[in-house]
Amino acid sequence: MQSNKITKILKAIADPTRRDIFHALVIAASALPITEVSAQFEISRQGVTKHLKTLENAGLVEITTQGRERFCSADPKPLKAVQKWLQFYEQFWGDALSNLENFLDNKNIKE
Amino acid sequence: MKDSIIKEHLFNKDIDTIWKAITEADEISAWFLKADFQPEVGYQYTFNSTGENCSPITGEIKEVSPYTLKYTWVVIENPIETLVTWKLEEQNGQTKLTLEHSGISNYQSDTAIEMFNSFNGGWDNCINGLNEYLTKLVDAK
Repeated sequence: MQSNKITKILKAIADPTRRDIFHALVIAASALPITEVSAQFEISRQGVTKHLKTLENAGLVEITTQGRERFCSADPKPLKAVQKWLQFYEQFWGDALSNLENFLDNKNIKE
Repeated sequence: MKDSIIKEHLFNKDIDTIWKAITEADEISAWFLKADFQPEVGYQYTFNSTGENCSPITGEIKEVSPYTLKYTWVVIENPIETLVTWKLEEQNGQTKLTLEHSGISNYQSDTAIEMFNSFNGGWDNCINGLNEYLTKLVDAK
């Protein structure tokens, strides 16, 4: 993976509106016309298009033209690496804290 | 999407008991990972994981002030630095622990890419080893 690609992904997911747009596309699970996407948001169609371009640039959204309409769809694959890191350490620290609790309880009984 | 992990836990113990458990080497070694650890800013600590082929963890203590402990976290085989912060607060006779492990967005893109690429390697299988070890330890008592 190119390092500027990672930067683009991190930048793309840093904005809450873009996350919402991305989320809407992930839920739709199929390509949606841009008009339909922008109807779901209280910002201008140009604004939505701009966010979509940023997401496209990061490889998180694909935009295709069919006739006069442009369609967009989500591709969450680039997020997998971030997600994997989070999942691993979520479990790791969760286990560590329950071990700490057990340790302290046991110590109490011993003393 | 966030890239840090925050865990909160309420312990039915006084704050100094918990503080001891997270800052003293023999205590850390008993419930977490075998530790070479001194609660002093600048100390280079080591946590040894117990599974086979498991890379140790190392880092530098950044802050030790009751009741905040902060250290960098580097899995030696993937030399990427992240940050672990432990915070304790007294709350109605109990102790609230807030643990934060922050990740890649602290770093420049070159480090972030290394992290993305190298995380697949190895260390994640050590979590099972850790659990087995700790289960045995608790049972032995």
